Amino acid sequence: MLDISNAPDGTTDAMIRLTGVTKHYEGSDAPAVAPLTMDIRRGEFVCLVGPSGCGKTTTLRMINRLVEPTAGQIWIDGQDVTHSDPDQLRRHIGYVIQQVGLIPHMSIGQNVGIVPSMLGWDRKRISARVDELLELVGLDPSVYRSRYPKQLSGGQQQRVGVARALAADPPVMLMDEPFGAIDPITRERLQAEFLQLQERIRKTIVFVTHDVDEALRLGDRIAIFAEGSRLAQFDTPLEILTNPADDFVRTFIGEGAALRRLSLLRVGDLPASVDSGEPVDLTVGADETVAGVLEKMLMAGAERVHVAGGATLTVQDMLLATALPKHPALR
Amino acid sequence: MSNTVTSLRTAGTANRDKDRSGWVLPVIAATLAVGTLGYIGTASLDSIEARALTTDVLLERLFEHVSLVVVSTVVVIAIGVPAGILLSRPGARYLRPPALALANAGQAIPSIGILVLLALVYGVGFRMAVVALVVYALLPILRNTIVGLQQVSPFVIDAARGMGMSARRILFTVELPLAVPVMLAGIRVSLILNVGVATLATYTNAGGLGDLIERGIVFNRMPILMAGCLLTIALALIVDWLAGLTERRLRPKGI
Ligand SMILES: Nc1ncnc2c1ncn2[C@@H]1O[C@H](COP(=O)(O)OP(=O)(O)OP(=O)(O)O)[C@@H](O)[C@H]1O
Ligand SMILES: [Mg+2]
Repeated sequence: MLDISNAPDGTTDAMIRLTGVTKHYEGSDAPAVAPLTMDIRRGEFVCLVGPSGCGKTTTLRMINRLVEPTAGQIWIDGQDVTHSDPDQLRRHIGYVIQQVGLIPHMSIGQNVGIVPSMLGWDRKRISARVDELLELVGLDPSVYRSRYPKQLSGGQQQRVGVARALAADPPVMLMDEPFGAIDPITRERLQAEFLQLQERIRKTIVFVTHDVDEALRLGDRIAIFAEGSRLAQFDTPLEILTNPADDFVRTFIGEGAALRRLSLLRVGDLPASVDSGEPVDLTVGADETVAGVLEKMLMAGAERVHVAGGATLTVQDMLLATALPKHPALR
Repeated sequence: MSNTVTSLRTAGTANRDKDRSGWVLPVIAATLAVGTLGYIGTASLDSIEARALTTDVLLERLFEHVSLVVVSTVVVIAIGVPAGILLSRPGARYLRPPALALANAGQAIPSIGILVLLALVYGVGFRMAVVALVVYALLPILRNTIVGLQQVSPFVIDAARGMGMSARRILFTVELPLAVPVMLAGIRVSLILNVGVATLATYTNAGGLGDLIERGIVFNRMPILMAGCLLTIALALIVDWLAGLTERRLRPKGI
């Protein structure tokens, strides 16, 4: 189980491959990133989480070579980019940071158009692309295109930051705590919108956060780093909650793993129990989450629920089927 | 949304207030100049005064003074801005303290001392006066160029690098435009300093309004002395006003 997924397996669907990547900052004894090997698949949304100072930002910035690795190789789309021209490389990798970093004396439209104009697009194409992107991140182009960054709220600025990173349609997006400085309510909305966006654009995303819940919510897979950039576990949210690799991971994901799993599991995936033929109070879709369905059942006072095109489930069925395997309480 | 509108309006109001108070300086300057000229035209002057205060002489002194200020400021910008840019690059970090100390010393040494020294060693003339002014006025521009570049948000630069902008492109399209207001403030200070210090150029035979002041003292003629002083003040006010206008015009939108 452990670490199978992070050993390069020779398949070509790795969009980003790090092999033995190491960073030693001058003047410090311990490496900021110890030799790190991981594969990130095409179209995959990977979250890097871990305690402060464990090397998440450094790892991310080595992928677009804002930080030069001390050793190891970085492959993007099958190409060794460890020694390629960094400016050219970065024009094809989206980069979003917590502080956004919009250029204050350029309008929103100009900010979003920076990379396309560096790539030599003509003006018409850039302006059409700018409008398309502002639309995509939920900002009305006719209102916001000619504004300046300081005339936008923090959440709006971060939307522009995302739009700007997407401008030249890069296959890879690197995001360093992009929603970290945004109030919780706006943050949740941005997360939800961003998930929907990702459904459409299917980028390969590496997303740094120190918020486990954010990682569980967004990531297809999550890389949990321990101190000294030890990769403690790299797996799907469900797997991490179900089978934490070690005590570090268990402590790091904290309380409530079993409850959290309920919002990751879908009722369609639960094994059907014997249909007793008793009347059903509620019908739900197969891809609704167990947590969502339980909520509906509690609200409706329903005892059993019919999953469209599938089984009929009782509350007890659902709880038993989703309980953590090998959990001491169930033995 | 409504917040933004309000803040825009506030910013607009502040600007308009500045514009409205903008007429004070030129009006004072014009009053001083007209008053001086009117006095000269109507007062009964003795032969020394009359000779020192003809329109031709006044215009020539004024022209000399303005030339000194303009030429020295252009030279100071030509030296101070590139030097400031170089000193603000990460590689030159260790050069910054000694360079600033040197520029500080240039300003700390009394200008008259520099002028006399230069005159003793290299002789007199317009060029020596310009050199002295440059030494004196270098600090504000050098310092403000460095400060202006340093105050650019490191996150803006980081994001720019992350988009694949080259260091040169970042300097010219991000850092320098954002540093312009601070740099212009330094240039304005240098200009004003130079208007005052250029009155000492008379000691290197470079003329200027200081000539009138010195003559007034030597011949003990109040009208000549006053004309020199008042015209210098009027010039300083006009220069400051023009510099302020330029500053506002060149300040990039959005900051
Ligand atoms: N430019 C630098 N020079 C020297 N050391 C650095 C530099 N940047 C980071 N470090 C060190 O490298 C280690 C990893 O830093 P990094 O910024 O990658 O951590 P992080 O996981 O992103 O932390 P956080 O969650 O606080 O952002 C830290 O110990 C940090 O002090
Ligand atoms: Mg970080």
